[in-house]
Amino acid sequence: MTASAASPIILRTTGVSKMFGNFVALNNISAEFERGVITSIIGPNGAGKSTYFNVLSGAFRPTTGKVEFEGRDVSNLSQHRFAHLGIAKSFQITNIFPHLTVHENVRVALQALVSRYDIWRARSTLPGLTERADELLALVGLKDRRARRARDLAHGEQRALEIGMALAADPRLLLLDEPTAGMSPEETRIMMDLIVRLAGERTVILVEHKMKLVMGISHRVLVLHHGELLAQGTPAEVRQNEQVKRVYLGQREH
Amino acid sequence: MSGLSFDLIALQLFTGLALGAIYVLFAIGLSLIFGMLTVVNFAHGAFYMVGAYAGLFLVSMGGNFWICLVAVPLLVGTFGMIVERFLVRPLYGRGIDYPLLLTFGLSYIMVELIRIAFGTSGYPFDTPELLQGAVDIGVGYFPLYRLFVIGATAVVLIGLWLFLERTSFGLIIRAGARDPQIVRVLGVDVSKVWLIVFGIGTAIAGFAGLLAAPLQGVIPEMGATILAEAFVVTVVGGMGSIGGAVLAGLLVGVVVSMSSLFAPEMAKVSIFALMAIVLLIRPQGFFGRAGLMS
Amino acid sequence: MIDIAPTIATSSSKSYGWFDLAMRHRVLLASIFVLIFPFVMPFTALAVNILIYGLYALGFNLLFGYLGLLSFGHAALFGTGAYLCGIAIVHFGLPWYAAIAVGVLSALVMATLIGSLAIRTRGIYFAMVTMALAQCVYYLFYQAVDWTGGENGLRGINVRTINLFGLQFDFINPLVRYYVVASFVILAFFVLSRILASPFGAVIEAVRENEARARASGYNVIATRLITFVLSGGFCGLAGALSALHLSIVPIESLHYETSGTAVMMTLLGGMGTFFGPFVGAAVFLLLENLVSLWTVHWQLIVGAVFVVCVLFFPEGIWGTILKRIKP
Repeated sequence: MTASAASPIILRTTGVSKMFGNFVALNNISAEFERGVITSIIGPNGAGKSTYFNVLSGAFRPTTGKVEFEGRDVSNLSQHRFAHLGIAKSFQITNIFPHLTVHENVRVALQALVSRYDIWRARSTLPGLTERADELLALVGLKDRRARRARDLAHGEQRALEIGMALAADPRLLLLDEPTAGMSPEETRIMMDLIVRLAGERTVILVEHKMKLVMGISHRVLVLHHGELLAQGTPAEVRQNEQVKRVYLGQREH
Repeated sequence: MSGLSFDLIALQLFTGLALGAIYVLFAIGLSLIFGMLTVVNFAHGAFYMVGAYAGLFLVSMGGNFWICLVAVPLLVGTFGMIVERFLVRPLYGRGIDYPLLLTFGLSYIMVELIRIAFGTSGYPFDTPELLQGAVDIGVGYFPLYRLFVIGATAVVLIGLWLFLERTSFGLIIRAGARDPQIVRVLGVDVSKVWLIVFGIGTAIAGFAGLLAAPLQGVIPEMGATILAEAFVVTVVGGMGSIGGAVLAGLLVGVVVSMSSLFAPEMAKVSIFALMAIVLLIRPQGFFGRAGLMS
Repeated sequence: MIDIAPTIATSSSKSYGWFDLAMRHRVLLASIFVLIFPFVMPFTALAVNILIYGLYALGFNLLFGYLGLLSFGHAALFGTGAYLCGIAIVHFGLPWYAAIAVGVLSALVMATLIGSLAIRTRGIYFAMVTMALAQCVYYLFYQAVDWTGGENGLRGINVRTINLFGLQFDFINPLVRYYVVASFVILAFFVLSRILASPFGAVIEAVRENEARARASGYNVIATRLITFVLSGGFCGLAGALSALHLSIVPIESLHYETSGTAVMMTLLGGMGTFFGPFVGAAVFLLLENLVSLWTVHWQLIVGAVFVVCVLFFPEGIWGTILKRIKP
């Protein structure tokens, strides 16, 4: 482990702004994310949460400012390189390989680490992938669904599958965009348990619209509003913050 | 190179604009249909060809060119609407490739039907009497008909612009071209909008075919050639952008005519080189929005 | 995209029904079929044509059916293979096998050139850009009269005997010719099957299924597309080279837009994304052409109509539909 990898800050954004034409989606956001804890990014609709998430996960390049992962500037890196650095993400909209089986979904995600351009060997001979995929499926609670087509799963199961795929790269940082969107209360509870379980070994950054949901499990909370960083701190500090109260006042909680 | 005077180059520039005018009309229809329906109309060349043959037929039946200018777009546009209603419409929602494949197959059928009706060899198409001869445009004598092509294209463009900017239907089309969701939210019958846009697009293609007929004659294969060239225009201008189609169409016309003056053997290849350059430096085209088709 | 079941059973599938068994041995089955094929055809020359166009469609299908990229410029790859194979024989006097290698290699180079320009665009542009670039290739070959014979095509590719391991085969004999071509086609079956079953085959599936997810998993989508395009070009170039040997001429139409369209039609008729579908498509297309030509020159009308009906009502194609029906 290098010094930077061991530093308590895993991810840092410095003065990050994102413009779409003349529209300022993110304005000068500087924040640090601690290693080994769950940090939640919250804010009302249109606050810039998803844009920020996309910048953190490399889907968008920041217009100005930089993103550093373990001390390395990743602002201009191609998206597919992120997985190899140790950053994985799940999407806001369910994003799986619909016609592949559950097991194949995870397997192909695992394969990205070992073989991407081999056109000759039989893929079944790649060592360990099948077993590792089964382990991950067990971890996210989908072991008995392994032979199903991914698109035939229930919504909550598909989201769990996505997380299983995100874990394939054995990421040090896991980025989750509204992991409980559209879920039933039961599915939400299962997902929250899963996230807490995962956070033991890795850093989790979570974007969430439902404030109450994340307060219980987060160590730190960032509040975005109109593309700006409104507040940050422990859940208790954020809850007491006058500005945050104002923003969320009248906003219907789920 | 001593023979290349300024006047000659200026005249060639005008020739390029006339040629470009045809590209503009063709590409605008293609762009309208794509922008609204996200259908790449591979039969667009066939509609263009049918426009030329419809003109040929009407003239042989005793009609004159001026009647054709009105009748041909109406006929071709009506045919286009029938195609949209009964063939393209069932494929919406089945993925972006299927309407494309259908129009591709349809172009085969249209070309073959024309071959059956008019034979496989081409026909000349007489320039209307009023537009024969040449006029002095300051830098030399320029064929009157080519001037007319530029003028007619300008008229169509202005008409289209007024239609899009000043009518409520045009507003819907412009909104829809940005985001089909908006049209649905507005509570407009989207399928009717699509029908009419397909009709307008194909009508303009037919009109372009008619305008091109006196310049290059009429053959069943005339559509396939211009289709490839119009794709160049679309890539250079940016798909779904009407302003882009106009500028890129004129640019491509001028590039063709200039290269046929300076390097005739490169005339056909030059526009593809242009496209390659645009793809390298600005893949979404001059006016294209990045990520339109992501 | 239509619903294409993943065609490869990975090690994770535990069922060994007859259907899976057939899928596992598809190269063998397809090869056996190819070996007996000339005896069920009315004349051998047609069977050779079906083999060559089947191979061409097979290459196209790797890109369109398996990866989901629709190219309308594959004539440039087929034609480059044909012309360069012909040029190697006519202008350089190379032996037939070296000429085939030249044809395939040049098609790979051409695919790299066209592919690296075309993949810079997304989705729907791809069909347009490939078509435009293929048209450009057409004009380039058309104008290089000294090398290509221009409008008249490249003539004089006379391969009369095939020497192999000291044996001499009479290439004029239609059945010999058939089996020479067939051996290349069987080789192509084998190579394609390896590619599809390889780790890269899984990447192709992943990119087709969900580009964004594939990228997030760490796959380079652009590189995957380019490599698949080039591999596809290799098969199509081989088909072109074989067609040059078969016809002893390369007509300029090899590079024409309609030749690109032929691959699209055959693949869709047969069944995109299926292993054997392109061959079924090529056979149906060419049989239809031959039959309809007996009573009218306007066979394209019928072929076009059949294609349109297929797009509208049988998007899975003939072989795709059969597979779906018989799958237990």
